[in-house]
Amino acid sequence: MVEDLKLERKDQILAVKDLPTLPKVLDEVSRLVRDPDSSTEQIAKLISMDQVLSAKVLKMVNSPIYGFPGRISSIHHALVLLGFNVLRGVIVSTSVMDMMNQAMVGLWEHSVGCALASSTIARHVGLKDVEDVSVAGLLHDLGKVVTAVQLPDMKSGIDSLVKAKDLTYLDAEKEFMGFGHDRVNAWIADHWKLPPSIKEGMSYHHKPQLARLYPEVACCVHLGDFMVRVFEYGSGGDDNVLYLEPEALKKLKLKPSDLEAILDQLSEQFLEIADLSFV
Amino acid sequence: MNAQACHLPRPQKVYLLSADKNLKDTLANLWDDGQLEIVHFDRGRGAIEVLFNELPDLLIVDNDLPDMPGLDVVNLVKSENVYRQLPVILAIREERLLEGAAWCSAEVDDLIIVPSSPARMKARIYLTITRASRAFDANPLSKLPGNTSIIQRIQEMIDRREDFALAYADLDYFKSFNDKYGFSRGDEVLMMSARVIVNTIRGFSGVRSFVGHVGGDDFVFILPPDKVELACQRIVENFDSIVPHFYDEDDRAKGYIQSTDREGNMRTFPLMAISIAVVFNVDGRLKHYGEASQIAMTLKKKAKENPKSSYVLDKRQA
Repeated sequence: MVEDLKLERKDQILAVKDLPTLPKVLDEVSRLVRDPDSSTEQIAKLISMDQVLSAKVLKMVNSPIYGFPGRISSIHHALVLLGFNVLRGVIVSTSVMDMMNQAMVGLWEHSVGCALASSTIARHVGLKDVEDVSVAGLLHDLGKVVTAVQLPDMKSGIDSLVKAKDLTYLDAEKEFMGFGHDRVNAWIADHWKLPPSIKEGMSYHHKPQLARLYPEVACCVHLGDFMVRVFEYGSGGDDNVLYLEPEALKKLKLKPSDLEAILDQLSEQFLEIADLSFV
Repeated sequence: MNAQACHLPRPQKVYLLSADKNLKDTLANLWDDGQLEIVHFDRGRGAIEVLFNELPDLLIVDNDLPDMPGLDVVNLVKSENVYRQLPVILAIREERLLEGAAWCSAEVDDLIIVPSSPARMKARIYLTITRASRAFDANPLSKLPGNTSIIQRIQEMIDRREDFALAYADLDYFKSFNDKYGFSRGDEVLMMSARVIVNTIRGFSGVRSFVGHVGGDDFVFILPPDKVELACQRIVENFDSIVPHFYDEDDRAKGYIQSTDREGNMRTFPLMAISIAVVFNVDGRLKHYGEASQIAMTLKKKAKENPKSSYVLDKRQA
């Protein structure tokens, strides 16, 4: 019974046709794409600030139509390979979040913050593919957005459970739906043929010790998620600071003194992006 | 769209197999400027031998021929692979269609219901001819225009004495990649290269440009002479940053792969790179397509001396 229900919800979730984004982000991206003087780099930089648009271009470029599924993890590369025509199509077919869902602005900020924190950590520990980590950090809560769009009743149920019992969003999801956004992320990543490094970062960010192929990516996103909550930038849907998995620090060979250095570095960067307003 | 404005790519030879005088007359009057050369046969049998010896650009077969079913003629021709590219239109009467003819098993590309208005017939024929030329010459992998279209385009520009830069691009160490990782991974790289080239060229808006896929790892593009160097730089930059993602993690980290060379010896090969050779046609310097490719092949050897991605511009011009 429980399994059947899960399967049914998985099907509903994967049937997602359109993920809306924040009006301001969409306006800005459309403006840049219309401007003949703007470069792929500029547009990529802006799209990298939006989890929904980033997810959409990665989904498209990794689709079998283009002939290299699961290969492209960078937004810039995705734009080079898709071209501006296709990008215009993505923008035209992206809708804007309605008033009610504008409550998700906090999640957008949290996601951008996590991308920043995760990539800072990746750079600090000397990982080669910093951009993969950044993208995985940006998309680590995409499952929450997809669930909110596809199963709106679940979303309101989870929100009230978080409030009533002071649970973490993840625990509330598990109690209410039987699975969390980490699982939803894994389903989406498989279904959209996202590259394995992005998939592992997205689906193991709560349990990085279980990641098999790209444990470093999962550990960076895990730690990044923790740090962005420490800075209270945006909102992951609850007010709890996450449990920090000691294994993740060990895996990344980080000592407490390293953490301090990273936090210092991040606080400056957070000051810079604090000017960025999403509404 | 004004159908009168649609010109056929070149004069087309059409074989019409029909005993229907009306159909013959209508067809003969569709194009009055010699764009369509019509060769008419009353019967099926007489036409077949001619067909096998000299292929037209389009075959129109009446379903009701006096001596044999029209579909038999079509099937006879289409069962031979060398004739399969020939586009075929079947002319059929409405009532025959309602009988549920066996045309669904025939390799017919389109139908004309007879009698038909000249306007409708003209549109149908035009679409069939252009569709066939598109489908025929597209590279099966990248769907980009192939050799016939490439040569046609270049010769056309030479004949019009139009200034242009013609670039030939190919991949270094593609063969060893293919040998190590297999054809399907090789195809992924070709698809990626095609996208990089197409999007870079399309990035130059408002200019006449062209991208073709000669085959394998050989591509061609055409741009105005003053745009081509920037295009080469962008292609090299994009290709070099994307191609490592098509290697396995460990090979990518090492920066080379091990594979067997042409003599069967194990060797190490660098990651793939792209080499581009650019030929200019300015002030009607070139007379024939062959000259362009000749110069390009010489230049390419120079580009290939560099194991990294690189481009060489035809100095005699610049």
